[in-house]
Amino acid sequence: MRIESREKDGVVILDLQGKLMGGPDAETFKTTFHKLLENGRKRVIVNLHGVDWINSTGMGILISGYTTMRRGGGDLRLLHVSDRIRSILYVTKLNLIFKCFDSEDEAVASFLDG
Amino acid sequence: MAGTVVLEFPSEYKFLNIVDLVCNDVVQNLCENRETANEIAISVIEAVTNAIEHGNRECCDENVRISFTCKEDRFCVEVADCGKGFDYQCYLQNIPDPANVYHLRGRGIYIMKSMMDSLEFEMVPGHGMKVRLEKVLKPKAAGEVAKN
Repeated sequence: MRIESREKDGVVILDLQGKLMGGPDAETFKTTFHKLLENGRKRVIVNLHGVDWINSTGMGILISGYTTMRRGGGDLRLLHVSDRIRSILYVTKLNLIFKCFDSEDEAVASFLDG
Repeated sequence: MAGTVVLEFPSEYKFLNIVDLVCNDVVQNLCENRETANEIAISVIEAVTNAIEHGNRECCDENVRISFTCKEDRFCVEVADCGKGFDYQCYLQNIPDPANVYHLRGRGIYIMKSMMDSLEFEMVPGHGMKVRLEKVLKPKAAGEVAKN
């Protein structure tokens, strides 16, 4: 899993590339989210456009990122969720927790709107 | 698809991608329903992840064996590890509330049970845990199979 970070209107966008499946990915994400909070970056979009698939361990990584951001007073939202990932979100009812967007502009605006 | 496709590989996460590629290729030739194909692929990845993580404890010297078979109207997958097994009954009977965001783990069996038509576990003494997954398929129209 490769993570590239960029910023748009004060919102951090993490572009993921590869498969989100546990192993070393968990530690990479943990460090990334803690660093973001340390630097006062509390509004994060995880862009899943480049993610081929995810398993439940990878879902746990996203949940961990979400709870880290929420406990730090921020939020994490998902962008470009494929049908395959969306079906995991639905069956586990995590679609009730994660806000998902198909457009980057809309995802960024959702933070600016409050 | 005639016969059985078998893969065997060491317990390393990097092999999950090969499993996914093979599974998708096999399923797409049998089933035109994208949702069904996704449910099978997701469940297979969960079963193999469990075998690597909980069965073989990520020990590269221990292999995972997976077989794909099409039996009449259903697609059957068996995933076998070399581990000591785990209390799957506990997971089947006490599935954590999936809506509880604080649960980072424990969704794999829930996902497989929700997405497949049949899910069975068997502890094979001296060999490890075997998981059987089945999904009923709507057959492709005759022309569709030929096209793929």
